[in-house]
Amino acid sequence: MRDVYIASSSMINISRHFNRGYKELAGAVVKDVVEGASVEQLDYMVVSSMLAESSLNQLDLATILTQHLGLKPMPAIRVDTGESSGLAAVEIAYSLITAGRADTVLVVGVEKATEFPTRVTNRFLSKVLDYEVEVLRNITPPNYAALIMKEYMKKYRVSREELTVWPVKMHDNALRNPYAQLKFKITPSKVLNAIKISEPITLYDMFPIGDGAAALILASSRVARKSGKEVLLVRDVVSATSRPLYLRDDITRFESLATLISMLRRKYGFRIDDAVCEIHDSYSIYAYIILEELGIARRGASYKEVENLVYVNVSGGLKARGHPFGATGVYQVSEVYNVMVKGVGGVKFDGAFGLTHSMSGPDYNSRLCLLERVV
Amino acid sequence: MRSSISIFWRRKDSYYKVLLTRCKRCGRASFFARDVCPYCGSSDVSIVKSSGRGRVVSYTVSYFRTDSNEEYLPLVIALVRLDEGVYVTGELRDVEPAEVREGMEVEAVLRRYSSDDPYGLIYYGLKFIPVIKRC
Repeated sequence: MRDVYIASSSMINISRHFNRGYKELAGAVVKDVVEGASVEQLDYMVVSSMLAESSLNQLDLATILTQHLGLKPMPAIRVDTGESSGLAAVEIAYSLITAGRADTVLVVGVEKATEFPTRVTNRFLSKVLDYEVEVLRNITPPNYAALIMKEYMKKYRVSREELTVWPVKMHDNALRNPYAQLKFKITPSKVLNAIKISEPITLYDMFPIGDGAAALILASSRVARKSGKEVLLVRDVVSATSRPLYLRDDITRFESLATLISMLRRKYGFRIDDAVCEIHDSYSIYAYIILEELGIARRGASYKEVENLVYVNVSGGLKARGHPFGATGVYQVSEVYNVMVKGVGGVKFDGAFGLTHSMSGPDYNSRLCLLERVV
Repeated sequence: MRSSISIFWRRKDSYYKVLLTRCKRCGRASFFARDVCPYCGSSDVSIVKSSGRGRVVSYTVSYFRTDSNEEYLPLVIALVRLDEGVYVTGELRDVEPAEVREGMEVEAVLRRYSSDDPYGLIYYGLKFIPVIKRC
């Protein structure tokens, strides 16, 4: 199998970009990432967006983007796996190169989540659940986060107050991230007293709605060697699906994530304490469970260890960096790349591995991307 | 029009009754009518009608606003264990949020899910309400 490297990455700040459409957001990161990559040509473009049909009224986003951006005609495809679409785009790009179908792939994650009022976007984003079984019956994603949080608190005898440590930490981290959406500090009491979304989940347990775009160029070793970009290897990208919440025997576990992390451990023998991680903390309760599934913290006790975590969600996570759905997975890989190669806000990771985790709903699907330093 | 009339009409049995998929291979029953067992993948399944009765295992009071639920907020969304031992998530009505209790007996009744205003279809289906004690 051929090796895959990150040749270049680019992000824009996540915000409510009312004055810029998806074409402008994608255009900005594509220009930047192409300039940074020093590759002669692009063989393929993979675009990820979760809400294109709903929010942009646009089908075949990939083709329209190549046309608008004046890119040389090339194969272009758009992927959607709900909230993990961005990492799915990286997964497809990785597969195209390992399979020998391309040497350089442009990955673009773009989302405009603010084209409609929030209550409309809320309906759009709820469709990551099963429309016929869950959404039509008035069930929305934060309801599941709330049920999982209550079960977790009961099972491990953890108080609501103790679970405020994650969002507080994420807001602190985001202060160092120039691309983050929420750059202000919060306190435990602010989390507890914020407006309720779905009890016990409050506004500060949840990601903000924002627009964003991020891009990567992945390259085969043949191309990466020529341009001196053999620095960070994309070791693997793996993914799995799982059962809906109401069919789970234990709703405080994320089974597909557990399967993926043990697969990577077996295959590459990497240790989680030798990795910098970006995890999918769409709701703070999910962060605690993900930390436990990844082996970063003990079950039921992850909140006690959050304070000491230096290399998890340096970006501020979905909570404070933001969650521009289809772009989030591309942001995560770019962030890990930056923190391993250049350093972000005074934090530089010199260890061997980087890991990004992206999922849709409560682990309805999960994806992991393992990056490895080679020089 | 936010919902599709044909999608709703095609699945109407599943919205008007609590249907379970009972697997003849692994023996497990699961919520919603499906052609295959979601646990083992077997197509050797039968669709059975639940009594629609059960108990609240857990619940949340939801203020999450969408343009199809805003007239009903706050919603109580419950995880219910049916008498058949099967878990289902659904809306709980006819009770003040502060009065919902874990372990509360509930039963399924027909209610309005949403409507396509101003002239569209009104979508009806089952929600749970506290069991009315008959003396």
